[in-house]
Amino acid sequence: MWAMVSFHKGYFFIAVGGAAVFAVATVLSSYGVQLLIDDVILPTFDTGGITFDTWARVSAVVVVIGLVRAVGVVVRRTYAGVANQSTAKTVADNTLSHLMRQPAAWHRQRMTGDIAARAGVDTDAAATILGPMPFASSVVVLLIVSGVWLIVTDVWLGLFAFTVFPLMLVMNILYQRKVDYHYQVAQDELGALSEAAHESFDGVLVVKAFGAEDRETERLAVISRRLRKARTNAITLRSTFESLIDAAPSLVNVAIIGFGATRVRDGAMTVGELSAFVFLFTLVSLPLRIVSYLFSELPHSASGWARVQQVLNEPLQRAPRAAILPSDDAMVDLRNVSAAHVDGAFALRDVTLTVHRGRTVAIVGATGSGKTTLLHLIAGLVGAKSGTIRLGTTRVGLVFQEAFLFAESLRYNLTLGADVAQDAINRALEIAAADGFVRDLGVSLDTELGERGVSLSGGQRQRLALARALAMGSELLLLDDTTSALDPSTEAAVLTNLRLLGDSVTTLVVASRPSTIALADTVIFMAEGNIAAAGTHEVLLRANDAYRTLISAFEHDRHDGENSADR
Amino acid sequence: MLVDDITQEVRRRGAVDTIRAGIAQAPALGKGLGFTFVLALFGAAGRVTIPISIQQAIDKGFVAGEVRLEFILRLCGAAAAVVLLAAWCQRTAVYRLGTAAEEGLYGLRVRLFDHIHRLSLADQNEERRGALVARVTSDIETLTMFFAWGGLAWMLDLSLMFVVACVMIAYDWVLAVVAFAVVAPLIIVLRLVQRRLVRAYDRVREGNAQMLSAVSETVAGVETLQAYDAVEPALQRVQASTKRRARASIRAGFIGALLFPSGEVFSVFTVVAVVGIGVWRGDAAGLTAGSLVGFMFLTYRFLEPIAEFTEVIDQTQTAVAGLRRVLGILDTPIGPPPAMNPVALPPGRLGVALHEVTFAYAPRDDEPATNVLTALTLTIPPGQHIALVGESGAGKTTVARLVARLADPTHGRITIGAVNVKHVANDDLRRRLTVVPQEPFLFADTIAYNLRFAAPTASDAELQAAVRALELEDWIASLADGLNTQVGQRGSALAAGERQMVALLRASLVNPDVLILDEATSSVDALTEVRIARALRKLSQGRTTISIAHRLSTAARADRVVLLANGRVLEDGSHEDLMGRGGDYKRMYDAWLTATRA
Repeated sequence: MWAMVSFHKGYFFIAVGGAAVFAVATVLSSYGVQLLIDDVILPTFDTGGITFDTWARVSAVVVVIGLVRAVGVVVRRTYAGVANQSTAKTVADNTLSHLMRQPAAWHRQRMTGDIAARAGVDTDAAATILGPMPFASSVVVLLIVSGVWLIVTDVWLGLFAFTVFPLMLVMNILYQRKVDYHYQVAQDELGALSEAAHESFDGVLVVKAFGAEDRETERLAVISRRLRKARTNAITLRSTFESLIDAAPSLVNVAIIGFGATRVRDGAMTVGELSAFVFLFTLVSLPLRIVSYLFSELPHSASGWARVQQVLNEPLQRAPRAAILPSDDAMVDLRNVSAAHVDGAFALRDVTLTVHRGRTVAIVGATGSGKTTLLHLIAGLVGAKSGTIRLGTTRVGLVFQEAFLFAESLRYNLTLGADVAQDAINRALEIAAADGFVRDLGVSLDTELGERGVSLSGGQRQRLALARALAMGSELLLLDDTTSALDPSTEAAVLTNLRLLGDSVTTLVVASRPSTIALADTVIFMAEGNIAAAGTHEVLLRANDAYRTLISAFEHDRHDGENSADR
Repeated sequence: MLVDDITQEVRRRGAVDTIRAGIAQAPALGKGLGFTFVLALFGAAGRVTIPISIQQAIDKGFVAGEVRLEFILRLCGAAAAVVLLAAWCQRTAVYRLGTAAEEGLYGLRVRLFDHIHRLSLADQNEERRGALVARVTSDIETLTMFFAWGGLAWMLDLSLMFVVACVMIAYDWVLAVVAFAVVAPLIIVLRLVQRRLVRAYDRVREGNAQMLSAVSETVAGVETLQAYDAVEPALQRVQASTKRRARASIRAGFIGALLFPSGEVFSVFTVVAVVGIGVWRGDAAGLTAGSLVGFMFLTYRFLEPIAEFTEVIDQTQTAVAGLRRVLGILDTPIGPPPAMNPVALPPGRLGVALHEVTFAYAPRDDEPATNVLTALTLTIPPGQHIALVGESGAGKTTVARLVARLADPTHGRITIGAVNVKHVANDDLRRRLTVVPQEPFLFADTIAYNLRFAAPTASDAELQAAVRALELEDWIASLADGLNTQVGQRGSALAAGERQMVALLRASLVNPDVLILDEATSSVDALTEVRIARALRKLSQGRTTISIAHRLSTAARADRVVLLANGRVLEDGSHEDLMGRGGDYKRMYDAWLTATRA
């Protein structure tokens, strides 16, 4: 809890100050009631009149106390919000920047949604505790000040108050804990229901195709019944307890009237004081009620903070890029490089590879042969276990198998926030054969893409990802099966455009389409994490059995079609 | 009519009508509501006990400097009894309202599930799916929250204000009028501030959504950002969004903070005025010291719920809006209407025929209705395997949907075994005809569960037999838990090709006479490709089969190929015929061959 306060102490203590003002003014307001009764009301009816000045003086006191109390509330609530929100922002920013500095390997071992939650909902949950905390502090002040005032006025009533206040507080907290349990169960059931409904509606085609509408409705109804049960349990508890808790201050007040009457008879207190105590009890019972919510917030907030801490305490892993050395002649120069998967299994074994400037190299291999790992190593996204990597440039553009676009402007997607000239952007779009559809869609560089903006097909997304790599001035392009989502003629156009760039761009492309492979200067054939053979497509087809088998598997569909056509 | 149109229409329905319609759909909500309110009124009596007791004590207990203890103690005893009795009434009222609400909302939810499952596919498409889930979860939840808080507040606060007002008038109607007079300006001030608060909270919600999506997007894009060394600018972008959200929240918090003590501030002024006027009028008006003190207490009680009330009104509006959306769904007519007097499908093999079938999706958002199919006639004899080919948008999927009666044609008719599908009972149709969709949907459970989705009563042996029939034993054996393998969310634990195999097995368990196959476009590895092709061949053997072919190799294998273009039949014949004819089909086929050739 203290950790949360420490981020923005100033705001927090202003809020606590406001809370203290509120608490003292609350007690004083019952003193105002006493003045109204003892100095204004009773004299009027007992002795037959008071002056206007008396009324005005007492009224002024009552009004001022009321206004001070209101100011206390406003300050408390406003600054509790400021402290809460500022802390949430600071913690979210810190957490996210820590997370984003962890290398790809770290991220791959974790679920994206879970990581995002640490910097989002978890930090929010952690900071929410700052909202009710100043209020809780005011309750403490309220109980102490009113208790002291009661003792000073009447020892017995004071002692009575000191017994009853904590008792009511404990009652509230116990109740809150019990009712929270039922609400938590209900919340879990609601989550389950939402998930099941999503699934059921998503699968509507299957549901309809098999005439399973009734069965599916019943499946959801079962979860709904569990939800209803949890909620009904909560209501049962709530109706009984809240009525009791509402009645408790009234019962205490009845006791005060009875007991107070004997004190008034003894001359130990005035009727005004007695009424003021009754009033005070009414005022105090509500905060006692509310403060118990704080206790139900606590575990939620604490678990949020624990989850945030968990990722913040993990030391930053070394960035793999730092291990890449400069190369004077070759564009790519790998010497005896090995790399492991997240689970420790070898992904690449002792790979040695040289690629000269301006070349186009196709990387061909079965699933799991290490093609993607090879590209990610060169891009500095994952690290090698052993061996050396030298590159002839620092401008490396990796285009992933799945293009990742941000729900942002087209410009941001092409430049990722870097300063890139308009010309360079246009040229990149042209080379990636993306200028045509961008124009056709009526998309400007400021149009937002994704969820809230233009939706794009897989091939269009791929071309934008390629344009991104080009716009950012990449000299070494790493294309991970990038062009396979394009239709063959667009793919050929894109690859031809890239070749026309000559020596300024070196391309490594993972490919499975024979037509694409044939466009490369050299083919690297990978198998089981190693380079099994290298050479031109024709030579490999002739000389390497495994290569031929793989290529014919890629062509399977075509042969299949031809065979049936010959039938 | 579509969901959107209905929602438009329903939006015009007033709040009272909406609530009435809601109670009609969920009768449990309204049951016994009157008695519940009576109990709530008795419950509120407990809250005026203390002011009345003080008045009684001052006027009759402390007379002329003398304390009549016996009277006061008797008074206290009576007060305690009233408080306890009232507490019991309040408890019962809260319990009755709460359970009635849960009962009613449960019924409403189940009605919604049932209705949504029966909506036509046009109202069920992907863009609307999120909205449909929101109807059964968040919209119903706004109603739950309303009953747990706002509805309760209406009941308890209205009862309290009513009872307090009655006691005030009984004490002194002039002072009561003074207290009531404050309510009007208070409410005006509160509404003004409240409105700003609502707008401020809209901005908070917006900022919140933006921030959360910026965070999750940045985390999801970590590899791209790191590959281009663009982490710093991305972080700055997120920091701008966290800042915007913090600002919006702080502003909303400040407005809320101003609103919060307003009721108390008004109370202070009112009490001072009431006491002043009371003192000025004095004995002559029949006022006593006790009644004035009691009145003071009552004034605080009376104004106490008002600040809360303005929030309750907003919550009520939200709840009514939620209810309106829920009713909008229930008012949407369900998909193809069930057959009134069903005709049984004849036994044996079934042919399929489309007669002059025209289909258009209902116009939407200014877009006029365009025909997807235009006067399409197609006769498929029993046992024939035909392949529908054509560019996307040619109407292939629509033909499949109409034959499967997932939608009805706008004009024309479709017969299966010479019976109009509109006259076939749903159960009958589903036993004889099955669809294997392009992206087979699997439920997050085992393979066996997904297979039993087609045949709930199938034994393990029957499932094994189906696997053998499609020659998929080796695949099932290669899985860790065989048929008990968990498929993950939407089948994500399986590869795309494996999901297709489950879908084929599932379809085979129905043992249909008519099979509709929407071919997958995703590429699969060679071994899976072989398995799928084999299973498909086995599955379609002896059944009337309509394949929507994306790979022209599939078309080449079919008995007959039908090329669709713009919702009409362009070419129709065997693969060899069409190739020989040298038309559009040949061009398509040649282009496809070139694309897949080295």
